[in-house]
Order: sequence, then structure tokens, then C-alpha cells
Amino acid sequence: MVFAPSDHASDAGLTAHKILIAGGFGAGKTTLVSAISEVRPLLTEEPLSTASVGRDSLAGLPDKKTTTVALDFGRITISESLVLYLFGVPGQERFWFMWDELAYGALGAVVLGDVRRLDDCFPSVNYFETRELPFIVAVNCFDDAPRYDLAEIRLALDLDDDVPLVLCDARDQSSVKETLIRLVESIAAGGTSAAQGRSLSIGR
Amino acid sequence: MPPPGRWVRRDSGPVVRPYAVTGGRTEPVDGEVLDIIAVVVAMPGGDSDDDDPQRRTPEHRRILALCQRQATVADIAAGTSLPLGVVRVLLSDLILSGAVTVIRQRPAGLRPGNDVLQEILNGLRAL
Repeated sequence: MVFAPSDHASDAGLTAHKILIAGGFGAGKTTLVSAISEVRPLLTEEPLSTASVGRDSLAGLPDKKTTTVALDFGRITISESLVLYLFGVPGQERFWFMWDELAYGALGAVVLGDVRRLDDCFPSVNYFETRELPFIVAVNCFDDAPRYDLAEIRLALDLDDDVPLVLCDARDQSSVKETLIRLVESIAAGGTSAAQGRSLSIGR
Repeated sequence: MPPPGRWVRRDSGPVVRPYAVTGGRTEPVDGEVLDIIAVVVAMPGGDSDDDDPQRRTPEHRRILALCQRQATVADIAAGTSLPLGVVRVLLSDLILSGAVTVIRQRPAGLRPGNDVLQEILNGLRAL
């Protein structure tokens, strides 16, 4: 495939960046994405892997070889030439294969947590730590959830000191905005990106 | 299961299998996979399919219409309600026939410069 030279349109062209929103099932990813951006469903048609055997009911569908996965997809227009995309990444283990693609070239990630099920965050935290992708953990303050202070939560998550940890209300636009600002600030400060992109350095 | 005759609705999704619109192809012709936020745009005159050896499908045309302004692959998938993999195959047809060009395959740079990060911060704060 022949691509136009990348600097051909760099002055006037559209630049897109993406931030991933991760976390366990029911952590509030969809709520967060819709609080700050216009959300449109993005369908992906993925091959059914052995991992989905026993999870997706295939009764009566012997020929079904793919399954449709809807990603939460939000678009924030920063300027005429700069757009920020939020991708809610499905948390279930059988969707891990999608993460590499989504994480490729991402600015960073927000791991959304629920204090009642903090261990749901572990796979996401491990993933971003391993890939050295900058991330922050945002604890979604559900109305009926017990309150803990951040130090306790940090301890429970065994989170490095340089990973920002914030409380947020995924329903509230300004709270979500502050969370994203905190992430981008930490990327700018380089705090969580000592070797960002080492595993993402293929391509151009 | 809804009663017969009532299930074909807007929210019931496409009635044809997703890869039927690509003629069963699940990968782009040249194997090059477009990034989810790769930026593409229609070439001037690219909407005339006179010199296109392959017949353009309605889905090709819908995609082409969305490429009249610079758009990302994700924008086009959401805009057409077609699955991402299908959009990639059809876009690669359009790219190979010269109707569409890729402006930016990947986000520029691994970590954007501080000026870009600052622009994002300013944009977020202004929301």
C-alpha cells in the first residue's frame, strides 16, 4: 500500500490521538466515555477464539466463526486539526487480543476501578505496566460504595508511586475532564513513561 | 427470540453477514492493516469510478462520501455502522484504486511533543 509522505499534510492535516479507558466489567467505562464525548458504537467483527468456547452461546449457530464486539468510542474535538479519541476496552479476558491494537500508539490509559472489586483492575494495571504505556488509576466513586483513602487504595493495588491515583465520578463531565487532564499532565511530565513506547516502536 | 417479521429493525443490526459486503474477504488485498485512527481522505476526482476496474459497491460509496473530509478509520466505521474489519477491507480497495489516500497511518511520533500535549490540555480544560 502506498502512503502519502507523512509530512505531506502535517501542517493542515488532521492529527488523531487516542486514550484507552480500561477496567473491569461494570466499572463505569461506558458512563465515563459518554460523560465527556459524543459516543458512537464502533463494531468490530472478531474471530471466535477457543477462549470464547463456553462463554458465547453458539447453540444453533454451528457456522458462526466471528463475534461482534461493540467498543465504546468517544471523540473529543480539541481543535480543527486535533482530535482525541477515547476507546473503552472490553475487560473480559477473551478480548485481550484487541488490546494490543488499541494500545498501539495510544497516548495513555485510564484504569477505572471500583473499590468493591479492586482486583478487577489488576489485569489492566499489569497490562499497561508491562507495555510501559502511561496510565493513571481512577477510582469511580459509586454512591453506595464504601470510602477509602487513596493511600489505602494505592496499597491494595500495589501501585507504583509514580502512577497517579485519583477519585472520580464517571457520570460527571468535570470530574472526567479532571481525570483526563491528570493523565495528560502525567504524560507531559514523563512520570509514568520512562520508556514509553519501547514496545510500541514498530511502524513509523 | 422476537416474533418473526419483527426482528428486522434498525437496532437489530445488518441482515447480511458482515463480510458479505467485502465478498468474503476478511483482510485487505495487500495485507496492510490500517490503524484504527489512521487518517484518510478522498483524492480529488476519486469519486468518479469510471477508471476503477473493480465495481464499487454501495458500501464503497458510503465510505468514499465520508472521506470527502479527512477522517479516521474509526470515524468511518462509526459513521457507516460497518464493523471495523469490513471498513478496513473496503478502504484498502479504495486506496489501491487511488480514490482515497492515507494521510497518517499512525499517530505521529511515539510520544507527542509537549506542544501537542499542551494543546490537548488546553482543549480539555476548555470543555
